[in-house]
Amino acid sequence: MKQEISLTVNGEDHTLIVTSRTQLAELLRNELDLTGTHLGCEQGVCGACTVLIDGKPARSCITFAGSCHGIKVETIEGFQNDDVMDRLKEAFSKHHALQCGFCTPGMLATARDIVERFTSPDTEKIRYELSGNLCRCTGYVGIVAAIADVIEQQIALGISLSAPTIDVPEQKSGFAPFEPSSTTRAKPANITLQKSGKVSANGNQTIVERGFSIDHKPEVVWQHFRDLKSLGKCVPGAVIDNVDNDRFEGHVEVRFGPIKADFRGSGTHTNNDMNKSGSVIGRGADKGGQSNLEGQLNYIIGKGETPESSKIDVEFKFEIQGMLAQFNRPELVTGLVDYILEQFVQNCNSVLSGNEIKPGQGISAFALVVAIVRAKIATWFKSN
Amino acid sequence: MKPVSFEYNTPASLSLTTDLLVRTKKDAKLISGGQSLGPMLNLRLARPELLIDISKLSELKEIGEDKSKVIIGASITHSTIEDGGVVEPISGMLRYVASRIAYRAVRNKGTIGGSLAHADPAADWVTTMMALSAVIKTRTSDGIIRKIPMHDFMLGAYRTALKHDEIISSIEIPKYSKKACWGYHKICRKVGEFANAIGAIVVDPVQKYCIIACGAVGGAPLILQDLSESVARSAAVPDILEIVLALETSEQQFDAVKMQQLAVSVQRAIEKAVCK
Ligand SMILES: Cc1cc2nc3c(=O)[nH]c(=O)nc-3n(C[C@H](O)[C@H](O)[C@H](O)COP(=O)(O)OP(=O)(O)OC[C@H]3O[C@@H](n4cnc5c(N)ncnc54)[C@H](O)[C@@H]3O)c2cc1C
Ligand code: FES
Ligand code: FES
Repeated sequence: MKQEISLTVNGEDHTLIVTSRTQLAELLRNELDLTGTHLGCEQGVCGACTVLIDGKPARSCITFAGSCHGIKVETIEGFQNDDVMDRLKEAFSKHHALQCGFCTPGMLATARDIVERFTSPDTEKIRYELSGNLCRCTGYVGIVAAIADVIEQQIALGISLSAPTIDVPEQKSGFAPFEPSSTTRAKPANITLQKSGKVSANGNQTIVERGFSIDHKPEVVWQHFRDLKSLGKCVPGAVIDNVDNDRFEGHVEVRFGPIKADFRGSGTHTNNDMNKSGSVIGRGADKGGQSNLEGQLNYIIGKGETPESSKIDVEFKFEIQGMLAQFNRPELVTGLVDYILEQFVQNCNSVLSGNEIKPGQGISAFALVVAIVRAKIATWFKSN
Repeated sequence: MKPVSFEYNTPASLSLTTDLLVRTKKDAKLISGGQSLGPMLNLRLARPELLIDISKLSELKEIGEDKSKVIIGASITHSTIEDGGVVEPISGMLRYVASRIAYRAVRNKGTIGGSLAHADPAADWVTTMMALSAVIKTRTSDGIIRKIPMHDFMLGAYRTALKHDEIISSIEIPKYSKKACWGYHKICRKVGEFANAIGAIVVDPVQKYCIIACGAVGGAPLILQDLSESVARSAAVPDILEIVLALETSEQQFDAVKMQQLAVSVQRAIEKAVCK
């Protein structure tokens, strides 16, 4: 969608027609030819795109044109008659605070904010405040020295801060023992699924093993598991489109928090009536998100604690490639798989009792996705 | 990467926002600071058809207090809190926590309401609000106002009790006495990163209150109930083994490294509250 926005950049007013999704950084670079603002990670991590929005540093990569109407932006090309910026530029040059200069426009925006907010040239504090701007070639020694230098100059010139940081009050600690009141008892977490099993990794493959029970006889549950259409209905978000002997085609919508993905693919479903075990093997791709999913679900159905119930052991092995590939947070997988299983078990119980399933909301793979975003972020630091 | 094409709407009031959420046939997402949603959009992990900007709504920018609680509007930014822009329910805790979230450029935009709605298990406000027994105040399209205690609000990783037409309007935090102490310890490899482990404790001898929360786990932060009670009774720092045992009763599985990080973060948080 295109929309008209008016904004002020480096003191100049502009009215533009842009698509809402345009990043502010792109708008500056492509529409206004202000190419001093750089794009690195486009995830808010590296700081290369940092500009001042209404006087405060912000990431222009995760600011979208739709939200830019009426804002005032200052980029590295601006800062006209700005004494602090002039001192910083000089100090950066003097202290060899740049080599290739890729990070410098963002560094200077952040540096200016540090000088405006802090009264002491404490290098530990400066490093802390600079942690959101990555420099891949110069190193931070010169940058930190340049900022400290400018803070000292400001002090020597008797310039007071425009936005002084108020010191955080001293933390109180130490108390006499007391008997806690029972009203402060928090409610215990509501666990509906009794969990057993483990989570492990084999190369890029994650393996989740789980055991759970269903309130129906093993024979009934087995008929349900061997019928892929019936089973597929119980997997939140999944739709089986075609079944041809043991081959099937289908898709699974993954939706959680802000994430939506639609894995489309095919696979095989095989069963062993002798010991009531089977497996579903499938692979699928999410075009929009550029990820691939490959997985295998093995199950075996046995007697439950009562004759009217069954115990089901499942082993779920999967590997994700592409955008979601660097997935490595076991505690999140556990949470995710248990959430899916919980819905799956509820759905199986409903279907087997002859009830309708509530419309599925899709598998909650969002947890997984965020883990990947974080892992990607972590790689940024590693390569630094 | 560029986000998928979306429409962008900035309704003028909270009721217009909830109306739009109900009326639209499009796949809509609220956007506040955009500091969690923005990266997801750029990576095309989120592909909404409509974004509804709530960052400018004055109804979500309330800052207030009464005798027993502090009120913080959902759209109040981390940096406003860092700079002392809200009343502290317990001396200095919110400012301390806020100053350690991400980086200043992210804090200038990111909001407390957005962070809670996003419900990332490793987010700082999630664990802090659990330890402070905060209450999340929300509004739906038919004007229904709910007050959801934090421990009922977050259901799991990225899952909350919010309905699709429900918006967080403010966060209410009980006020603690002048004698109250707190501790917060976040373990991460690099400043500003999401935590590997978070320990938080709030103790108020006057209100007989002691809650220890542990975050960056598989779902909502864990409340270590028995440990909280024993720390209140002893006013001493428990040893690591005792904390590990408390974490083991949570029924969550952690590998050895994770367990150690969680236990250490809890122990260091308690140290800060206990040591005179
Ligand atoms: C590089 C980087 C590092 C970070 N590090 C940390 C960190 O160390 N600790 C930490 O806690 N956070 C961290 N964050 C996240 C940051 O704190 C975000 O600001 C916060 O999680 C989300 O707030 P937001 O206002 O930006 O929400 P948005 O991104 O705008 O929205 C997030 C989600 O919440 C929903 N939402 C927003 N407001 C409301 C509302 N009022 N009612 C209902 N739903 C709503 C949106 O629809 C969306 O799904 C980091 C972010 C970045 C980019
Ligand atoms: S490009 Fe914006 S923070 Fe990296
Ligand atoms: S000067 Fe090259 S990245 Fe910083």
